[in-house]
Amino acid sequence: MAGLADLLRGLPFFRKRPLHPLLAANREAFRMVDHDRPLAACRFTVLDTELTGLDAAKSEIVSIGAVHLEGLSIRADQTFSQLVKPLRALPKASTLIHRITPSQVQGAADLAEILPGFVEFLDDTLVVGHHVGLDMAFLNKACRKILGGKLANPCLDTLHMARIYRAEQWEHYYERYDLKVSYALSDLAAEYGLPRFPAHNALDDAMQTAYLFLYLVKKLKDGGIVTLRDLFEAGRSWRWYF
Amino acid sequence: MKHDVTVIEDFLRATLPFSEMTEEALARAAKSCAIDFFPAGTRLLTRGETVPREVLIIQTGAVKLYLVDEEGGEILGDFRGPGAVVGGLSAVRGGPANLNAETVEDSFAFRMPVAVFLALVETQPAVAQYFLKSFSETYVSRAFGELRRRRVPPRSESSLPLFATRVGETLRRAPVTVEPGTEIRAAAEVMAEEGIGSLLVRDPAGGIAGIVTDKDLRRKVVAKGLDYRRPVAEIMTGPVRTISAGEDCFHALLAMMKHQIHHLAVERQGDIVGVITSHDLMILQGRSPFALFRDIEVERSFARLYALAEKIPLVIRPLIEEGAKAGHVGRMIAVLAEALLDRILTLLQDELGPPPAPFCWLLLGSEARREQTFRTDQDNALIYQRPADPGEASEVRDYFLRFGRGAIDHLVRCGYPPCPAQMMASNPSWNLDEAAWSDFFQHIVTVPEPEQVLHATIFFDIRPGFGFTELGERLKAQVVRLAAKNELFLRFLARDCLRARPPLTFFKGFVVEKSGEHKNHLDLKSRGIMPFVDAARVLGLRAGAAECNTLDRLAAAHSARLLSDQLHSEAAEAFELLSQTRLVHQLRLMEAGKAPDNFVDPADLTELEKRTLKEAFAVLAALQSLVREEFHLQA
Repeated sequence: MAGLADLLRGLPFFRKRPLHPLLAANREAFRMVDHDRPLAACRFTVLDTELTGLDAAKSEIVSIGAVHLEGLSIRADQTFSQLVKPLRALPKASTLIHRITPSQVQGAADLAEILPGFVEFLDDTLVVGHHVGLDMAFLNKACRKILGGKLANPCLDTLHMARIYRAEQWEHYYERYDLKVSYALSDLAAEYGLPRFPAHNALDDAMQTAYLFLYLVKKLKDGGIVTLRDLFEAGRSWRWYF
Repeated sequence: MKHDVTVIEDFLRATLPFSEMTEEALARAAKSCAIDFFPAGTRLLTRGETVPREVLIIQTGAVKLYLVDEEGGEILGDFRGPGAVVGGLSAVRGGPANLNAETVEDSFAFRMPVAVFLALVETQPAVAQYFLKSFSETYVSRAFGELRRRRVPPRSESSLPLFATRVGETLRRAPVTVEPGTEIRAAAEVMAEEGIGSLLVRDPAGGIAGIVTDKDLRRKVVAKGLDYRRPVAEIMTGPVRTISAGEDCFHALLAMMKHQIHHLAVERQGDIVGVITSHDLMILQGRSPFALFRDIEVERSFARLYALAEKIPLVIRPLIEEGAKAGHVGRMIAVLAEALLDRILTLLQDELGPPPAPFCWLLLGSEARREQTFRTDQDNALIYQRPADPGEASEVRDYFLRFGRGAIDHLVRCGYPPCPAQMMASNPSWNLDEAAWSDFFQHIVTVPEPEQVLHATIFFDIRPGFGFTELGERLKAQVVRLAAKNELFLRFLARDCLRARPPLTFFKGFVVEKSGEHKNHLDLKSRGIMPFVDAARVLGLRAGAAECNTLDRLAAAHSARLLSDQLHSEAAEAFELLSQTRLVHQLRLMEAGKAPDNFVDPADLTELEKRTLKEAFAVLAALQSLVREEFHLQA
């Protein structure tokens, strides 16, 4: 197999764009992820992006907010917050949601200028986000285009964690069919009594997500989550066999 | 778009004592903090083991501090809620924690490195002062301000700067004076020309001998047909009552109501600089306690007096809005209640015929202390002079009993509920002649039994309310004399006042009722106000003070060197704060159409209020331990 790969790379069509040094370092950092490392020893980046729409093929990022966690505590002094100038005009519907106006983003930098700084901020941290798959789809699309590859940071989804936590709380099998349950970030924050942040500002949402992550990580399994492996395995213990 | 998260900074800015730091220090301190989460039941500190490297500032949730006794039971030390600091004391002292700490709710907290915290204590005076735990005046006044702002939303139509305005500020002109030899007609001309209702009359020494008002001209000159050429000195009232220019207008109002006059000469550094009139005060006010007072004063029918009595609470609200403290309000209510009592008893005398002997209506309890709130139970008694002829004794007794019953009946209809313990002038036990009262006090002071002491405390708060006041004053003086020299009795009283101590106050926790209708509510009266009143009473009696107002008693105890300067000022402030909290609480209930009570839900209090109340309870504990030492009582 290796021989074939080498062979293919020799052909001009398959020759890959050289990987950006930042991404090379990023990839190197996660070649080996020690799943038995205590979470308290890990660094995390909790991130959120504001988008012009939900379709990664057509929509764009208009702002990125992120904050670091160290020792399972929020480092509010280590934040990342940038507006992004989209390539296409800002649709009105999105402005109504995140309140970022076309004139605001006009003065902002292109994603190409911002992304390297953000990858540096991500560093060797584990990524946390609420419905993080969506944010990562947009970020990876941009990374491929600008830096020539995807981010290797493992991701944790607070939405998924909230589902697991809710399943832990279920006492009756029929509760899982409760359709009124919301997993929206602000609804979860209200339900768990977390300190609140205004919604739909990337940095504020990242902070809200960070509070949610801290809450869930320490509440799941009655506080029994110590390592990354514990966290990954918590998701498997669904009581689906009722 | 903002590039920073200011959650920690914003929180600290709203939290004592960090809110008192410089903006720069605040921002720097905030940057050093990390935000952490502790689920309920997380052990934060272990006594004697944990040497904290960080202090915790609680953002949300609650932490309990406790000790474990030999049997493994928990002794609660304190509850700390949002804004409170955990581990501050051991950080300042160094070494391991001296209490266990555990979260009792899911809690988010800011972790601040000890080094940063210590630097704040060192460089920020407000922080140092706060953690040295003094019941600081600045915090108290801020708590008062907050109470007022938050609890009593301003009403636009009432703007009564009674408390904010100094008497001197109301003066619009220099006083107009005349020589004592001036003819009445000339004086009246001066008044007409100047458009004023009063003139001051000079004395030969250059001072002020008296005052002549419109009323004097009407009553003493026109109505009597006095010769207009007589000198004005003949109709003046002198010496003139004065008030210092620095007093607030509320005091001027009280003085006018008390002496039933409408003019006060204003004095500044010994000189008369002007005249303040009741009209000046009316202008300052919208809805006026003075007008109500006047209405009560001239009323001649019981039915209309009942209606006027209902208006008393209405004039109180504007006073509170203006910044009146509970002490002010208590005195205002007392003045109005006395005017009402005066009318009722006068009308009753008209109805029953003149009293067969001199008597005095005695006010007891909170009314005597001038600390009553909106609806206080009646506590009163009656003393009369024993007739010279023993044959008249039963007739006299009958009259005063009928009188007492009639008065109580009218007072009930005025909205003063009867005393559940029947401590009223309608009860033959408390409607006695001088000798019987004297015997009664001899007995309770010299033969104290616990049960009696309990019932007797109310009799040590006495004030003559109506009638032949010398009788009441004489009795009061006798009571104070008896009590002050009877060590055994005072010790009983002291022990009783310690028994009333809220058990957990000792630990400075926030004590709430554990069961019943008012579960989880704080009983401000029995846990806060009454213990202060009781402690002040025993200290006041010890000092031989005749005053029965709690603040006056504390002052008397202070002059008698029973109380240190600091404890005296702290106790006075703490008592006022508690009274104020209760007053505002009752006002809110009444405005919501509910009956006023003494039960406050701690959840309704702001962090600052909670903290200041807690400090007030700490002062109470200090006051009580002083009582214990003073009377050599066991803990």
